[in-house]
Amino acid sequence: MRRCSPPTFACWLLKSLLPDPYREAVLGDLIEEYRLRIESPSRFTASRWFWSQTCRSVPSMFWCSLRSRGCFISMSIAVGVYIFMGTLKFAADWIIWKLVAPDQATYVVLAPIVFLTTTAIGGCVAARIRRGTTTFLALIVMITVAILIDVKVCSIPVPWWYQFGFLTLGPLAVIITPTLLAHLKRPGAVT
Amino acid sequence: MKRGELLGSLEHIILLALVRLDGNAHGMIVRREIEERTGRNLSIGAVYATLERLEAKGYVSSFTGDPTPERGGRAKRLFRVEAAGKRALQISNQTIRSMTAGLKGHWGTI
Repeated sequence: MRRCSPPTFACWLLKSLLPDPYREAVLGDLIEEYRLRIESPSRFTASRWFWSQTCRSVPSMFWCSLRSRGCFISMSIAVGVYIFMGTLKFAADWIIWKLVAPDQATYVVLAPIVFLTTTAIGGCVAARIRRGTTTFLALIVMITVAILIDVKVCSIPVPWWYQFGFLTLGPLAVIITPTLLAHLKRPGAVT
Repeated sequence: MKRGELLGSLEHIILLALVRLDGNAHGMIVRREIEERTGRNLSIGAVYATLERLEAKGYVSSFTGDPTPERGGRAKRLFRVEAAGKRALQISNQTIRSMTAGLKGHWGTI
């Protein structure tokens, strides 16, 4: 039975990112088609097809959910949570500077920890207030980080992968942390 | 003709696929029908996003089917074309026919 299962991470992505009304229908359709395809060409081809469908479906469905009712409420909540996150990060940075007074090298290490912690907290708060808000929040985080990288707000010289880490891990922390916490609370839950 | 009655190209194709399937069809069947007939490899997300739009316009209606084991215990969402959808298709087809009438000689130059 396990051999017939579609890629787990792709399923998890779809479950996390697709809007509520069509989540089950889309997943069911993809699983049904995957099981048909796995028999004829190969498991690899079927998995590649499943991944391609996942990557192409998420933006369409996300745009669809944007247009549907309630997206502006989610967007407003996401902006509110983002301001809260910014305040939290500012406070954490201020405390670090006042108490530890780190040199540049230490700050380069501490900055991602503070950033990822605040984005994870923000993600949990957003998910707690309203389901689906985390996607908007992740987008806001990604756009803000991209702008900050572009305007070179960081005066400390850092390698490109360091900045790329902020760009990718920040939004991921927003989306993944609430889901992970929900799974940890329900260890026996079937995914 | 009202602006709302004009169909987008994907809306048009999906409505035609639903009519061809003659009854209740779910997203993957619609996707497969379009791929077989036109060669367009649509994503299932694009199909459902369009179906949702058509449902909001009242052109199609949907209901939930029974969950089946081959779908991992998930239910199908089945769609059918409503009278308003058929009317919109007729208007859209008529518009295309009117606009393409007499253009046979021009296809080589377009």
